[in-house]
Parts: sequence; structure tokens; C-alpha cells
Amino acid sequence: MRDDIIYLDNNATTRVAPEVFEAMCPYLADLYGNPSSAHTFGREMRRSLARAREQVAEALGASDASEIAFTSCGSESDNWAIRGALELHPEKRHIITTRVEHEAVRNLCERLERDGYDVTWIEVDGEGRLDVEALGAALRQDTALVSVMLANNETGVIFPIQEIGNLVREHSEALFHVDGVQAVGKIPINLRALPVDLFAVAGHKLHAPKGVGALYVRRGLSLPPFIIGGGQESGRRAGTEAVPYIVALGSACELAHKSDAHALIGRLRDKLEDTILSSIPNARLNGTRDRSERLPNTSNISFEHVEGENILAQLDAAGICVSTGSACNAETHEASAVLRAMNIPYTAARGSIRFSLGRYNTESEIDYTLEVLPPIIRRLAELSPYREAGSSGEAAKA
Amino acid sequence: MSFYPSRIQEHFDRPRNAGEVEGADARGEAGSLYCGALLRLTLAIDPARQTITDVRFKALGCGFLIACASALTETVRELPVSKAAVLTEEAITGWFGGLPAEKLHCAALCREALHLALADYHSARQEEWTDEEALICTCFGVSEKSIERVIRVRSLRTVKQVTAACNAGGGCGSCHMLIEDILSDYWRTRDTLI
Repeated sequence: MRDDIIYLDNNATTRVAPEVFEAMCPYLADLYGNPSSAHTFGREMRRSLARAREQVAEALGASDASEIAFTSCGSESDNWAIRGALELHPEKRHIITTRVEHEAVRNLCERLERDGYDVTWIEVDGEGRLDVEALGAALRQDTALVSVMLANNETGVIFPIQEIGNLVREHSEALFHVDGVQAVGKIPINLRALPVDLFAVAGHKLHAPKGVGALYVRRGLSLPPFIIGGGQESGRRAGTEAVPYIVALGSACELAHKSDAHALIGRLRDKLEDTILSSIPNARLNGTRDRSERLPNTSNISFEHVEGENILAQLDAAGICVSTGSACNAETHEASAVLRAMNIPYTAARGSIRFSLGRYNTESEIDYTLEVLPPIIRRLAELSPYREAGSSGEAAKA
Repeated sequence: MSFYPSRIQEHFDRPRNAGEVEGADARGEAGSLYCGALLRLTLAIDPARQTITDVRFKALGCGFLIACASALTETVRELPVSKAAVLTEEAITGWFGGLPAEKLHCAALCREALHLALADYHSARQEEWTDEEALICTCFGVSEKSIERVIRVRSLRTVKQVTAACNAGGGCGSCHMLIEDILSDYWRTRDTLI
């Protein structure tokens, strides 16, 4: 394990858990059979797939393992869910989604909009909470699909899926897809109790490797395949199963399901967040203050009148990995779509840093971060041409 | 491996001349709608030598902008105003062996802030000028009378000729319009007299 970095970017990706690595290794070596083969070796692989499917189903609270189909990544799961749902009801031309979805959903829905679909984009408030009432009011007879994320990747804000699902069921015949990529492994999920038809998972967000995902498809819903070919995954997703990765995803789901790391992660996040907000004058939280409505591992904090990229670079030099919600690229420099949707003032959005913790973070890493960060912000604030950045206390918050 | 290219990183880590000149003689602020960056330059200028004696910057922007501003301040310190006024972006990008195309606007922003600071200085000087005759070229301290004299004596017709003859207009160029006016006034009056 790398001990030269402090990894606070677990919403971007996570370290492969040693247990997961161990579970998948034999499948990269001796256990190379094809699950579609008729011989015993192939059947062994089928058994391994079945076990992984059960592990995933168990972690998601699915009623049956057959509701889980394996994919290559979260984006594939989202694309399959959305395209498949639309294909099921070609006469329905209306989609409801939110302004703050991950690109996998947002960019696809934008494309569908260009292709002639009618898309309703539900807004969030200044704290990143979804306008559920507006979503309810937007439901129509011809609504084919409602697609809402369970937890936002940038702010960690959790959307009320139960409530939204109830509205969808009550006022429409639309299918309800939930992008659960950022939530799985961070909060308990019980799909059998939720009015959800489709649910996307990405392995690398919960300590499995990159290159594997899953889509939950509620029993009774026959979603048309996205990748057409052989009869793998009960004809739902062609392509020889990535057995090592699927085994890894199963193992990671079991680990997440049985783990009690959430409490520790939450405590460390709270300490990090509370200390930053109370000790750095120009710091402000992006996302709801109500922690029960936010992932326990995520803190998105703006340092007003300071450049996010500068903070990231300085933390990087100190060996601390974080993300910023604002990036200067070749085309433009703008705040992320999520922060813009929240109407975060540009001078604050520009200095936003996302800290996302994981099961391998320690208290001493958080203490070190809290030691390093304030002087970095102070120095950058002194460099800032905005007078407020260098001042302290109330003046900065006014 | 550093976050920015090493020469940029070096200035980003230890920016030269960050801050503000107290009681500055000139101040220039340039912002970019393109990337939302903001740069403020403050200058101290010795009027006797017409030379920048101190320069400080504050910036909100990427590491490239900070490095460019840092390099700019090192370039113009102890530079005569007339030379600072004609400074090109290459004088800044040269510090880093060039910049990637998408970061050239960082150097442009620095040059713009410098020009605005010098324009600020010139307008302040024009206001302060107590002599009876108007000061036209603040870079080289050339008055209206001097320019008229050189036009008359040497029958000058263009700004270029005026600059060659007495330096007026050879710096920032902000007085070119005024010199044009003096030229056309002079020649109109003279043509009328004849």
C-alpha cells in the first residue's frame, strides 16, 4: 500500500481492497475458464459468477440474484438502463432527470433531447436538495423514464429515492432508474423495499477494480439488451463475462455489506469538515448541513476568493489527493454543472474542494490534512486580489 | 513529479513580488471573462528617472497566471517606464521557454494589467502636471510646446517623425492621438495663414 499519499478522493475511485484482490487473483491465473463452456471447468466459473451475483444482490437488498446483471462500468449500466427503458416504450417521448446527474446520465439525456425526446430537468436548491415537488408535477402519461441519482458525487447530497419512487408509481407508468454508483458501499441500500426499477453500480467506487459494474433490473422487467451477441447474462448482456472482475465486485459488495467502516469514516469526515469550517474564515460548505441527507464520507467545501486548482496543486505537493469543482481546461474555465445548478457564487465555486474519505483513511491522516490546509489557504488568500479573501471572521462571511 | 511544469511550479511555489505596493503610484487590474481570472498590479515609479522601482501583484487564477505575473514583476522592476510600455508577451513567456497555447492568455492578461497600470500612471501625471504647458508624452515627459516646436522647426508630418525627433510617443503610445491632434492643428493653422 502506498504510504506516501493521503487519499481523500474516494468518490473518484477507491483502492482495491486486499480481500478483493485476493479473491480475484486465482481468476487471473489458474481459474481462466469460460463460464459458457459445457465442461466442468466452465461450470466452476458459472458457480463463481452465481456466487458473485448473490453477493451483489445481498448488498443491494435485491429480492433475487437474477435481478443483477454484470456490466463493464457504471456508465454502461446507466446507458443500458436509460436506452433500454426508452426502447421498451417507444411511444413515450418524455424523460425526467435532474440538473446534477453524473455525466453518464446527464450527457446521455442531453443527447436524447437533441434526438427529439422531451426532457424535464429538475432543479436543486442552494444546498443541493432536489425539488421533489417539481418532479412530481412533471410526471406525465407519456413519461417513459425518471432517472435520479441516489447520492451526488460532488456534494454527497442524498436524494429521497423512496419518496420520488412513490410519486413515480402513483402518478405515472414511467420506469424509475436510480444511479446508485456513488452511494453503494457508503450507505445501506435495500432495493426490495424501494420503488425502483433499475439501479446502477460501479465496482471501482467500492474497492473493486475499474472495469466492472452492475445493473439491477427489477424482476418482471425485461429490459432489452444494450450489447447484442451471445446469450451471456441470461441474454441481457452479451460478451464473455469478466470473471475475475465480477468475482471482485461480489467480494467488494460483501465486504461493504458486512463492514462497519462507515461509522469511522463518518467520524473522520465530521472532524475534517467541522475543523475546516470553524478554523478557516473563508470556508463554506457546499451541500446540505443536515448530515443525515449527505454521504458520510463527502465534504465539498468552498474557499472563497481562492483558486481551487491552486489548492489542489498545493495539497498535491503535500501528498494529499483531493478534487476541485472547478477546472481550467483548454476550452473554458467554469464551475462544475453541479455547483452551478446550486447557484453557488462563482467566486466560491471556483475555490471548491471535494474531500471524499474511504475505509483506509486514518485519524492521523486527517490530522495531517488539517495541519497542512490552513496555511495553504492563508497563503493563497493573501495572493488573492479580492480584499475579502485576506480578511478574517465575519467580514469574510458577510 | 510536480503538478505544473517545473518552471511554472517553481514560480507558483515561490511567487516573486506577491502583494501590494503601499502608496502605489500606479495600479492596473485586468480580468478575463474567458477564464474568470483576475490580476492586480501595483507599481512605484521614480518620476525623476521615469523608472519602475517597485512592483507587486495579486492574482486569482491558475498556476500559470501566478507564474506569469511573478515573471512579469521580475522583468519590469528597475525598467524605465518607456520600456515597460512596449513590453511584449514574449518577455513573459520567455521565462518558461514558451507556454502551451491554451495558457498564452495568462501572459496576455499580465501585459494588459501592466499597460493599464502605466495608463493609470500617465493620467495621474497629466493631472499633477503643474507647468503652464500641457504634458503630452508622460513616458518621456515631453510637453505640448516642445512637440509643437519640433514640428515647426523640422516640418514634421507624422507621429513617427515626431517620435524620432523628440521621443514623444515612443513609449506606451497612449499619446499618439494627442500628437495627431497637435500635428493637424499646426498644419491647419499654417496652411490657413499661407
